[in-house]
Amino acid sequence: MAEPRDAPAVGRVVLELSDVSLGYGGEAVLQGVHLEVRAGERVAILGPNGAGKTTLLRGLVGLISPMKGEVKGSNSRFGVVPQRERLDPIFPITTRELVLQGAIRRLGGWHRGYSMADGERAGDLLAELGLAPQADLPLSHLSGGQRQRALVARALLTDPEILLLDEPTSGVDRQSTEVILAQVERVAREDGVAALLVTHDTRALQERVDRAWRVDSGTVQAELTVAQGQELQEPEVSA
Amino acid sequence: MSLAEALEFFRWSILAILATGVAAPTLGGFLFLRRTSFHGLALPQFAAAGVAVGFLLLPTLVDLGAFGAVAVEDIASDTHSAHGYHLLFAALGTFTGLAALVRARDPLGLESARMAGAFATASALTILCANASPFGEVFVHGILTGESLVVGPLELATLAATLATASSLLFLFRHDLILVSLDRETALITRRPARALEMLLAVSVGSCIAVGTMSVGPVMLFGLLVLPPLGARRFASSIRAFFWLSSGFGLISAGAGLYASFWIDLPPAPCVVAAAALSALPGALFSRPS
Repeated sequence: MAEPRDAPAVGRVVLELSDVSLGYGGEAVLQGVHLEVRAGERVAILGPNGAGKTTLLRGLVGLISPMKGEVKGSNSRFGVVPQRERLDPIFPITTRELVLQGAIRRLGGWHRGYSMADGERAGDLLAELGLAPQADLPLSHLSGGQRQRALVARALLTDPEILLLDEPTSGVDRQSTEVILAQVERVAREDGVAALLVTHDTRALQERVDRAWRVDSGTVQAELTVAQGQELQEPEVSA
Repeated sequence: MSLAEALEFFRWSILAILATGVAAPTLGGFLFLRRTSFHGLALPQFAAAGVAVGFLLLPTLVDLGAFGAVAVEDIASDTHSAHGYHLLFAALGTFTGLAALVRARDPLGLESARMAGAFATASALTILCANASPFGEVFVHGILTGESLVVGPLELATLAATLATASSLLFLFRHDLILVSLDRETALITRRPARALEMLLAVSVGSCIAVGTMSVGPVMLFGLLVLPPLGARRFASSIRAFFWLSSGFGLISAGAGLYASFWIDLPPAPCVVAAAALSALPGALFSRPS
């Protein structure tokens, strides 16, 4: 296993949006957004298609600058799990090669290669996510759930402060869903990694997130709380 | 001419073709993975068009004194003396084409049609300018058919240096380029300089095409940029294997094509491309073993 890293203190604010407006070409998609994310928190981002969830994510990671307000923490180390359909099947990439991309910030040596330590850590993550037998198979030979697990392993290898997961359980079998959510829970608890999960699949996440945001009608409308073991529900008292 | 005599007489050309056989498929591999293989077809044609335009402008530039007291006939009769001049126009043609192809990207799916249009235009421009030039017709015709392999030590050194520099840079930034090509948004979030990396790839490919067109001609470049990666994709089970196989197929195609060219006395470019097509054939006919 890799050396333990300095975990951020659980509870510290790692991402904060103050009265932020986000959009494209001078047109705001989201306005008046006030949010904060603490280390070790798991937050679900809910909302209908086209509501602005992707715009919110792009604003959080600094891919688009806010038209108004301030985003604190967009320079954090992000681990990203994109929708697996975004990966072009033309690439003859193996599962291990994909996971190693998570160590891309740490390329070194005259040949700018991955270190042995990162190679070992990629192997450990593949094993933890149940993909050791598929490590050297082309990604195209894996099922949808296995591919999703490989993307989670890649995101974890970035040594993230914040994990962003875009529809991580959509179209994924129950076993993979369980493995993915258990890993998210583990890194949140043990390493203080904050996790933001964009999803339509509220049923799978009911017991696995601390709270939820709803993106709708041009803003992040309501903050929901999710008690462990309870269904998603509106907060009884909102500030 | 015996094989030994041919090897001695054409040694610079042979080395240039083998070097291109190794390096061009690596560059073409990146184009293939980015689904821009058509660039490998269109850009050498733009380079050839650039050379033809250069020939058309040559008399005017000589009249204006751009070459001092050298006569047009001297430049036209000695291709080595005008190497830098032709190279400049090949590069101008290539990078003009590259800019046009980048501009051609659009979300409506018209990219391939625009590229095909650009290819047709470049082909026509090459023939028109070559025919209109009193000195360039034979030279440009030779480049297009792959017969004009007037490669000397200077041309070989230029080609080898360009291919080596481009290949080394792409090797150094291979992991970043693969990530940018596979998953651009994640690359941006992990602070990879995606635009700079794409520019590096474009300049590397463009430079090799400009220099390669002058040395081995556009037809051989078409074949070596596009066909070996196509064949390799079927059999490669990893990114690393894909690039090794592409390069290997390219080298074998170059060697086999040269050998065939000698024995059946045909221009080397079409022979190398035919060999490359044969190397891609099994991949096209048979499915990849699991």
